Amino acid sequence: MARKRIIQLMVAFFVVLWAFGPAHGVSEIRIGVIGPTTGWATMFGQNNLDGVKLALSEKDYKFKGTPIKIFTEDTKADVEVMRTKLDSLKNRDKVHMIIGPCLGHEGMAAVDWAARNPEVPVLVGYSAPEDMTMRKATYSLVRPGWTGAQVIFDFGKFCAKDLKYKKIIIVGQDYAYPWDQAAGFIRGFLENGGEKVERIWSPVEAVDFSSIMAKLAGMAKEYDAVLCNCGGAQVVAFFKQWQQFGLDKLYPQILGQANVPLTPMLAEMGDTLLGVYSSLHYYDGDPSPANVKFRESYHKAFGYYPSVISVQGYDCVNVAFKAMEAIDGKVDDPKAFIAAVRNVKMTADESPRGPFYFDKFGNPVQNIYIKKVVKQDGRLMNIAVKTYKDVSQFGPYADMPEKYMAAPETTRDYPPGDKASYFKEIEKYFGKDYVEKLEKNKGWPD
Amino acid sequence: MTKERGYRFRRALLSALVGGIIIAIPWISSQYFVMMSVRVMFFGMLTMSLTFLAGELGAVSLMQASFFGISGYTVALLESRYGFPFPIPPLAGLVIAVLAAGLFGLLVVRVRGIYFLMLTLVLGQLVWALACQWSSITKGDTGITNIYAPTVFGISTEKSKTAFYFFQLIFFCGAMSFLAALKRSPFGLMLRGVRDSESRMAMLGFRVHLLRYAAFVFASLVAALGGVFFTYFTGLINPNTVSLPSNVEALLAGILGGINSLLGAVVGTAILKTLDVVLSGITERYMLIMGVLFMLVILFARQGIVGTLMKYWNNRLFPSRSREPERRPGGFSKKPDVVRNP
Repeated sequence: MARKRIIQLMVAFFVVLWAFGPAHGVSEIRIGVIGPTTGWATMFGQNNLDGVKLALSEKDYKFKGTPIKIFTEDTKADVEVMRTKLDSLKNRDKVHMIIGPCLGHEGMAAVDWAARNPEVPVLVGYSAPEDMTMRKATYSLVRPGWTGAQVIFDFGKFCAKDLKYKKIIIVGQDYAYPWDQAAGFIRGFLENGGEKVERIWSPVEAVDFSSIMAKLAGMAKEYDAVLCNCGGAQVVAFFKQWQQFGLDKLYPQILGQANVPLTPMLAEMGDTLLGVYSSLHYYDGDPSPANVKFRESYHKAFGYYPSVISVQGYDCVNVAFKAMEAIDGKVDDPKAFIAAVRNVKMTADESPRGPFYFDKFGNPVQNIYIKKVVKQDGRLMNIAVKTYKDVSQFGPYADMPEKYMAAPETTRDYPPGDKASYFKEIEKYFGKDYVEKLEKNKGWPD
Repeated sequence: MTKERGYRFRRALLSALVGGIIIAIPWISSQYFVMMSVRVMFFGMLTMSLTFLAGELGAVSLMQASFFGISGYTVALLESRYGFPFPIPPLAGLVIAVLAAGLFGLLVVRVRGIYFLMLTLVLGQLVWALACQWSSITKGDTGITNIYAPTVFGISTEKSKTAFYFFQLIFFCGAMSFLAALKRSPFGLMLRGVRDSESRMAMLGFRVHLLRYAAFVFASLVAALGGVFFTYFTGLINPNTVSLPSNVEALLAGILGGINSLLGAVVGTAILKTLDVVLSGITERYMLIMGVLFMLVILFARQGIVGTLMKYWNNRLFPSRSREPERRPGGFSKKPDVVRNP
């Protein structure tokens, strides 16, 4: 009898404990963070993770008293490993949401995983392929980030209309992300008065550009400017050889793709980058209070100034917090959580990059800044020379996303780079009216 | 020979036990463990393909992942782009991978030792470059997604990991027995002959090139089979699969487990893949620990983990057997070969 009594008491005790425990359904909010933290792409995964950590430490790792735990996983930039780690986060750690991944090919694999595991919300970090939130979009995956083309459409327009260039050469690494960048640029450039874009692709790992430099020197008479469409170590090599070959005297201007003047690179490369134009949805020299606070506290926490990659991780957490507030912290209901995430509207005070909200595909509609590298307080920084407000991932085609998605996928030589054949293509996919409108307005309306 | 019988009995008991555990895995362990086992099996096939060549022929290939990937890409294309029904994509994948192996084999059988390694490295990188650049077919760096595991006998292997596990287990055991049978057969003996002294085998009238060629194609078939399951299970494929790191990882798994036995390849893969996931959950610096582990294995267990354990096992059971000269793969042999240079 005594034993039965003890059992009854114990049961009663646990029931009471359960009932008076934390008020909401979850006793702990578990967040998985995924990205490459070893290997060649370490910078991407680590910066994203640091952004996440900063945002969480600002909130003391708590949401209304409920503790938050993060689980970090390394993808090694390998999608098979990433799929396994995603499964681990889901099955082993039972996370409520996943932040990441950070690379293009990882992103495509993540969206495929998300479509099969719709019960785990995924907030994408730095991955930029447009199909993640276009042709392959899935409800449980939201990207508080960017697409490669989204940030560069308007740069093409800027080069054609404001800088008045007619012919441009793009030198880039030969893989999907630079192809997308080139495609977005070509659309903006040719539709706004540009005449020709020549693409030169170099092997992904190559750091010797001497043959390309010689070629560029020969082309200087015909072309107005060169756009460096590389990333990482290639940028350093490219700019060094650019000066060694004296090309800075042949061309008035050098342009960069979105990733070229990233913050860590500015510190490393010094004055060679001065005056480089590029475009992105964030610029480090933004004087807004949200950005100044973010930069200073980031520098204090990790000892270096953040780049846009860290902003992405930081914003992911803040978006998640805003969504949790809307549903009172019930992250154990993924459907409600995702719906809340998709409704989040970030204001200029909440994100270092400025205001943004999500379109129906789960990609932000946000400001795109045309940046220029200048020297401020003895340090190189990007400042905005022009801001394009509320740009969606479809850029100027925001009112006809279906037509945009029906056009062929970007490859190393699609869309075509000369005006005549490019216009033939857009007439085929966007219709005659669109071409006529372009000709009437002399490009995109401002 | 009562001792021999006792040994046989114990071996039978052990195999029954291991077999029982393998079959019971989906019920006695978690979904997570089943997933890991599935991964170990398809990567194990890749490693086996490599260690078969390294162990039997003394030729270390750095392009086995290419055949793994070629069959994978074929499955992915036929499945997601053209929507062929189930048995066609994997069969086509195997056929195309074997054809590719037949083509590359013509080149690689002519060289040996370090030149074999270099040539396979080059050809492997060629396949990788093709996967990256030929984007109208392979979708370049982005890779092909939207591949779903087939329904076999009315059971969806996409929805149930257990079903996939058994589906693959059958083929995995098949591949392993295939290679084991090759090793035991006169063919295997001839391969080892080629490994130890090619000139003598040629002198005895064996068609050495043909032997090497056949071994290369057989090994590639096993890798291709692994690739089929890889693609179905992961649901995607991209150039990473055929990259140099994939090849090196298979080589490392082989070294870790031991290249002289098929079991070694599987155990090495299992350890590598498990550590990868388990350690990375504990610390961000897990690569360091794995590096130290490799150093220890290479310094103190040259035969790999399985090879070393087997040696102790045999020593304890049959002290007389251990006096047999230990087998070494030709490529790594340190002893001067008296036959080769008469």
